[in-house]
Amino acid sequence: MSKFLKVATAATLALLIPVASASAEGDAAKGEKVFRKCKACHAVGEGAKNKVGPHLNDIMGRTAGSAEGFKYSKAMVAAGEEGIVWDEESLAAYLEKPKDYIKGNRMSFAGLRKEDDRADVIAYLKTFSEGTESAAAAEPAAGPSQQAAAVSAPADTNMADAPRPTHGVFHLGRQATAEEIAAWDIDIRPDGTGLPKGKGTVTQGEEIFAEACAVCHGDFGEGRDRWPVLAGGQDTLKAERPVKTIGSYWPYLSTVYDYVRRAMPFGDARSLSDDDVYAVTAYLLYLNDVVSDEDFELSSENFTEIHLPNEGNFFMDDREEEAHYAKKDEPCMTDCKPGPAEITMRARVLDVTPEGGDDEQGGGAVD
Amino acid sequence: MSSLSGRKKSIPQLAERTSGVANPSRRQLLTTGLAVGAGAAMAGLQARPAAAAGDPAITEVQDWNRYLGDGVDARPYGTPSQYEEHVVRRNVAWLTADPVSSVNFTPLHELDGIITPNGLCFERHHAGIADVDPAKHRLMIDGLVDTPLVFTMEDLKRFPRENKVYFLECAANSGMEWRGAQLNGCQFTHGMVHCVVYTGVKLRTILEEAGVKTSGKWLLAEGADASAMSRSIPMEKALDDCMVAFKMNGEALRPEQGYPLRLVVPGWEGNMWVKWLRRLEVGDKPWHHREETSKYTDLLANGKARRFTWVMDVKSVITNPSPQAPVTHGRGPLVISGLAWSGNGTVKRVDVSIDGGRNWKTARIDGPSLDKALHRFYLDIDWDGSELLLQSRAMDEHGYVQPTKNELRLARGENSIYHNNGIQTWYVKADGVVENVEVS
Ligand code: HEC
Ligand code: HEC
Repeated sequence: MSKFLKVATAATLALLIPVASASAEGDAAKGEKVFRKCKACHAVGEGAKNKVGPHLNDIMGRTAGSAEGFKYSKAMVAAGEEGIVWDEESLAAYLEKPKDYIKGNRMSFAGLRKEDDRADVIAYLKTFSEGTESAAAAEPAAGPSQQAAAVSAPADTNMADAPRPTHGVFHLGRQATAEEIAAWDIDIRPDGTGLPKGKGTVTQGEEIFAEACAVCHGDFGEGRDRWPVLAGGQDTLKAERPVKTIGSYWPYLSTVYDYVRRAMPFGDARSLSDDDVYAVTAYLLYLNDVVSDEDFELSSENFTEIHLPNEGNFFMDDREEEAHYAKKDEPCMTDCKPGPAEITMRARVLDVTPEGGDDEQGGGAVD
Repeated sequence: MSSLSGRKKSIPQLAERTSGVANPSRRQLLTTGLAVGAGAAMAGLQARPAAAAGDPAITEVQDWNRYLGDGVDARPYGTPSQYEEHVVRRNVAWLTADPVSSVNFTPLHELDGIITPNGLCFERHHAGIADVDPAKHRLMIDGLVDTPLVFTMEDLKRFPRENKVYFLECAANSGMEWRGAQLNGCQFTHGMVHCVVYTGVKLRTILEEAGVKTSGKWLLAEGADASAMSRSIPMEKALDDCMVAFKMNGEALRPEQGYPLRLVVPGWEGNMWVKWLRRLEVGDKPWHHREETSKYTDLLANGKARRFTWVMDVKSVITNPSPQAPVTHGRGPLVISGLAWSGNGTVKRVDVSIDGGRNWKTARIDGPSLDKALHRFYLDIDWDGSELLLQSRAMDEHGYVQPTKNELRLARGENSIYHNNGIQTWYVKADGVVENVEVS
């Protein structure tokens, strides 16, 4: 707690000191580029909503942990209550070492090491704060898929005088247009069905990954904090704690392309171009030792030639053949086991039930 | 480390609660119940002989008996009593990286009957709760069909409807217990299940509207959220009992359950019940997407993995007493209550053991017994105050019997994550405190 107090005092003082002396003036244009590191989790600009992190409109002068509708960690709320208000100084300190500045806060971001980056991103954020320049660089609020969804029906078949369609039994709905199908039908199968034309190299992928993926998944796909691990884990499937990754577990490469294109980066889905996704997929192959050449180029042409090492180790559900199901006997009702039951394991021994005061990590997963 | 066994609260609060004056949270009651020794707890909670002056709950005029309550305009959408505030979904922070891609659990120990109230149905989403404007929501059918179609919500509501009660269980329910007893409370060990009545259109009806080609053997269902959740479903199932639902328990789906439209895949793992359903594609092969390769495949001890393990096996759990719902009334009549279900159909029988599986008694199933729905069972006993090792074992209409956890481990190892339907044991101590344990 004493750490908070010190920080709080510094923050309060900072409010009294003219802002200019607090840090070097940053460059908002450069800051926009730095902000790409934040974009996975934060939105700013017109219509910005809370994502993994709170929206950052009007961040200057905001009490820490106070954006409406965002569920902060207890630590962030407490920091606000202790008096931390975001200004150039407190932001600079927070962004340098988020975990140190507010112990226990939930922003899983390593921080901006370079002072210039911090000053620039703060200058950029200032342009979205009340009383400063208008939000000219505002991001569009809706992603491409949402825009596609908003396109209104070309023909309103529900009007009484419109010609009734002839399809089906009830003649409800209308025919989908080719553009509509192209906008939504982006799925890919192991045989390559659905792959768009395009290409990308390991080296290109590394760059994109560093910018758009590494904040969560780590530079080498090792997974920061509790974000998913994407690489390694080979030969662990029989181990006590298997590490299931693209290289160690996934059967098909098409799944990587399909999933990254539909759902990643987390909180900014559908933002990568088809070529970007080829490049990132190539980089993930490289991180998983499936390819070893940095100049390797993955493309719609050579895609189906690549096989992941664990492909052969999946088989169809055969639970019915397990002894306990196969027998289907009348279950025993009396004296089913010899001797009284002995307790062999207790939850109390490794109690990780929530609200126990401890935020300790248990075993297992729900994925 | 302690949670339910935390010894923080003192006896007076317990006394207050039982006299109906104060409103401590359930948790306080719990901690209290657990904190105090057997004798004191029982004394506080058992029906006490009326003092000479009588029970103040009777002899004193209560506020609600004198003053007027809220008018009909005060609660246009009603909420539970303030005394039920503790009955909420809870999450386990350490399970996932971020609450936006995470899970919370139904408080099974606070519920009865077979229907889960909408606001308590557990949540699992992969990119947060999508906030979909129904006016802009479309359902597209494409792929191997005669006519690819687009429906508005209004279109969908013009097809003939049906109402069906189904349970939905996440395949990872009880997944944290593979390596042994870990979480103290059936909310956490079994709370990724719920059961509601759905209103919607048979998936078959909608597919027939587009006309499935004979080569169409698989269906890809896809959501409109930021994870664009996608799963492959065999056509046989799609044409059998699947539904496209827009209502749950009579009202619109809750946003966290896929408003305005979700797929219902009765008896099969919850992940397939795609929420915010926006597209159905007919194909000739499965897609092997992330949720059916990286996830929702069951890794066995030999390093090989089962895929397409869709059916949720026969399962049951005693919800009361359980670690979050200890016995607070001492010896005498005790209602043992629980839930049973099977993805194969109805539950035919539930047996309960109080001695850790040595001897079993058949419980009474009460309320409707519906295909692929939760079943409520009771065993009414006269508790002599001795320690109990409670277990329940369900059997479905096809004769599948719920296995023990050790039988499952023997067949699969401990790394499967999914489909843990093993028999649960609760250890009820003489003071009524209950703990999650495993027995020989
Ligand atoms: C991996 C996700 C992630 C990344 C990347 C990230 N943040 Fe955050 N940020 C969060 C979360 C989550 C919180 C809320 C923390 C809490 O509640 O403890 C947060 C909080 C903040 C806050 C405090 C806001 C408030 O309302 O009090 C600021 C300011 C902030 N982040 C700025 C940034 C900037 C600038 C960057 C990029 C340089 C960045 N963040 C990168 C997730 C992220
Ligand atoms: C803000 C954090 C964040 C960023 C940035 C991010 N991811 Fe993810 N990623 C996640 C989360 C969370 C999941 C799991 C989502 C779920 O629960 O369904 C995930 C899952 C994945 C998976 C599947 C992992 C598995 O084992 O099933 C892949 C592959 C992946 N991400 C690739 C990427 C790529 C490539 C990028 C950059 C283009 C990226 N991610 C950016 C958070 C992030």
